[in-house]
Parts: sequence; C-alpha cells; structure tokens
Amino acid sequence: MNSTHPHDDELSAWLDGQGSAEQRAQLHAWLLEHPEQAAQVRLWAADRDALRARFDPVLHEPLPEALLATVREGGRARTWPWAQAAMAAGLLVAGGLLGAGLTWQWQGQVNAVQAIAPGTWTHRAAVAHAVYTPEVKHPVEVSVVEGNAAEQRAQEQHLARWLTKRLDMPVRLFDLRAQGFELVGGRLLPDAAGPSAQLMYQDGSGQRVTVYLRKPEAGTRTAFRFQRDGEVGLFYWAEDGYGCALVGNLPRERLLALAEAVYRQVESAIVPGAPAASVPAPQPAPIKPMS
Amino acid sequence: MPRLRRYARSLVFDTAVADDLVQTALERALQRWRQFEPQRELLVWLLAIAHHAFLDGLRRDARFTVVDPQEASDRQDALAADPGVDMPLRLDLVAALGRLSPEQREPLLLVTLEQLSYAECAEVLGIPIGTVMSRVSRARVALRAALDGRARNPQATVLRRVV
Repeated sequence: MNSTHPHDDELSAWLDGQGSAEQRAQLHAWLLEHPEQAAQVRLWAADRDALRARFDPVLHEPLPEALLATVREGGRARTWPWAQAAMAAGLLVAGGLLGAGLTWQWQGQVNAVQAIAPGTWTHRAAVAHAVYTPEVKHPVEVSVVEGNAAEQRAQEQHLARWLTKRLDMPVRLFDLRAQGFELVGGRLLPDAAGPSAQLMYQDGSGQRVTVYLRKPEAGTRTAFRFQRDGEVGLFYWAEDGYGCALVGNLPRERLLALAEAVYRQVESAIVPGAPAASVPAPQPAPIKPMS
Repeated sequence: MPRLRRYARSLVFDTAVADDLVQTALERALQRWRQFEPQRELLVWLLAIAHHAFLDGLRRDARFTVVDPQEASDRQDALAADPGVDMPLRLDLVAALGRLSPEQREPLLLVTLEQLSYAECAEVLGIPIGTVMSRVSRARVALRAALDGRARNPQATVLRRVV
C-alpha cells in the first residue's frame, strides 16, 4: 500500500467518487490510518452537504412564468419541430427531478392539450390504431409482407401510389427498420371530411405502431406535439398540405424516436413516387407472423 | 430546468440575476439545438451553455463577483425571505462561496451540487480533467478556510496543505 501522503487533489477526488476502485481502496485505507486528514475530508463532505442543503430547495420552487414561456416558445418550432419539442420536454425533465407539481404545470401551461380530445383528427388516429392493431387476420388492407421480395416491392409501390392519389398528398412508406419496425402495410380510412390513411408497422415482438396520414385543412400548421390517452401515445404535427401522427402503445421516448424518423423522412427530399421502403436493397426475409 | 436554476442560483445567489442567467442559457440552447448531439447528456450541454452565459455575464457585469458589504446586506435580506436552513450557516456558506474565484466555484458546484463526474465537469467547463481535479480540491480548501474565518483577503484563500 502506498504510504506517502496523498495530495489534496486525490483526497478530494476520492470524496467525489472519482478514480479507479484500486485507487479508491488505497486512499480509503490511508484515511483510516490518518485521522487528521480523515477529519479534513469529513469537513469537506459536510461543506458539500451544506451546499446541497442550501441550494436543493431551488429544485422545488415553481418555475417562473418567463422561463416557462421561453421553453414554450422554443417548443413551437420553426423548421424541425420534433427536435425542439423534445428539447423543450428535456429542459423540463432534465435529470429526472421533476416533481408532480411541475408535471402538472407542464401539462397545464405548456401543453394544454395533452389528452386526446374526441372529435379531433388525432383522436381518429388513436381510434384507428386501437381498432386495427389487435387485428390478426386483416390488420391492413394492402399487405406488403406477402409473397416473394419482388411481389412485396410491387405491393409497396402500389400502396404508396394509391394512397398518394386518394389523399392528394405525397405518401411515403417510411422506413423504420433502424428503429426495429417493419412495414406491414396500409389502409385507406375515412377522416372527418375526406380520406385518411394508416400505415402499420410491427417489431420482432409483435408490437405494432401506426402512422396516420391526412391532408390538413389549408393553412393548418401545428408544431410537433405529444398526446396520450391511457396506454396510447401519439406524436403529431401538421404542415401545409401534410398531417401526420405516429401512434403506439410504447414509452414516450420510443415513440419519439419513431416519430423523429418519420419526420426526417417526410422532410428529406425524395423522388416523387419512390416509396422509402423500396429504395434500400431487399432485406433478408423478415420473420413476420402475419396471416 | 430546475437543475439549471439551482446551478445558476449557486453561481450568482440572487434569484432574479440567476433566472436571467437561466433565461439567457435557455434562449441560447433553443437557438443552438442543432448543435446538440443526441448521444450527449442534455444536462451537460445545457450546463455548458449556462457556464458560457455566466462568463459573459462576468465580463459584462461585475455584480456577479464582487461581494461588498452593501451587497452582503442585500443578500441577507434575500436570504431572510428564504425559509429553511438556519440563518448563520446559509450566510456563511454563501459568503464563503462568493469569495471563491469563478474558476474554483464552478467546478466545485458542478461536482458537489450537480454531482457531475470530473469528466462531465471538464466537458461543461472546457478544461482538462486534471484541472477539474485540482480546482475542486483548491476550492474545497478555500471554502473551508473561509468558513473557518481564516481567510480575510478573498484573494489569499488558496491555502495549500504543507506536509
């Protein structure tokens, strides 16, 4: 064991839990034999605790409206709403030290429409998700997982073209394989005043998420938002000529990752009519327990 | 954001000044979110922005550092409105903290209050880990000296142990 006097730096680092296990064990042993220095380290620890006691109450103070407004405005994004919304959320939950009171504030002030309200298009997206995802025999109208690879590609192209035409907006088949989800297929649905579409994706465990697409009313623009109704969560946004919601019974972070991927793919310039899922080389036969 | 506020408060003490600092940091963060890499820790990134905002504030405005008697009495009033810990301790502690140079105060607070690792602290402050280690240690010695009433001159608070 090292019997030389450790430097203050080392003792201080020991107090902060730094250094390798071996170094720490040596310093600990040394401190046990040197009560004077051990007392000094205890005083440092007491100062540390006093600092925490002095400033920790700040964590539980209500957040000033001006700061909330900054985050709220920042969350209302310009070009990449998902990222700012995610950051705005992150700002409020950083460190996981969010109390129930603050959660309430976030819901009440920052995002007044957390619950999925009946009669809205996001509600229809959530209902469509709930209706079709448990379906075993006919989860989708047009399946892209039947037949051989060439037939699947043909079905993908057909689906994208068909929905693009019926919705009168460019419909891409998003590639969510990086997030572990394979496209199952899609269907046409009635929205309030016209058609909408649902794309269904499934991961290896059979968990399904859906993407709900509709052409929003002219001039509609909704920044990236999150809503939840029971176990169903959805991220949605609407821009001129394009409304999209990602729906799933997944933790918010996983939904966010998926929604982010969808958003990126919507934004990235693509060759019209070339569905995303058909661009990459065919994958090895996916395992899909589809009927 | 609560942690950002706590850090700001521990840096500049005054609630309004601290929230100004948080405000500045938030605005910068929202402007620069494109520079945020998802694999980085959000808190570390935000603290780094707050650190720069703090340094900018120091350059612009001496009130962040100067601890004069008038200010100490203002501070006392502010603290009196803050129920909780007993008064002498808080006064001493804040006064002692105020005597530390920003170079010492920031790493000490990041490591003790925010409980960052030295590596994270180094990332926030943009200094080497070894520098974090020595600054935290010197800050501890200086803080203790100030609390013991040994340091009359704020500039002479760096007492090295002689062994």
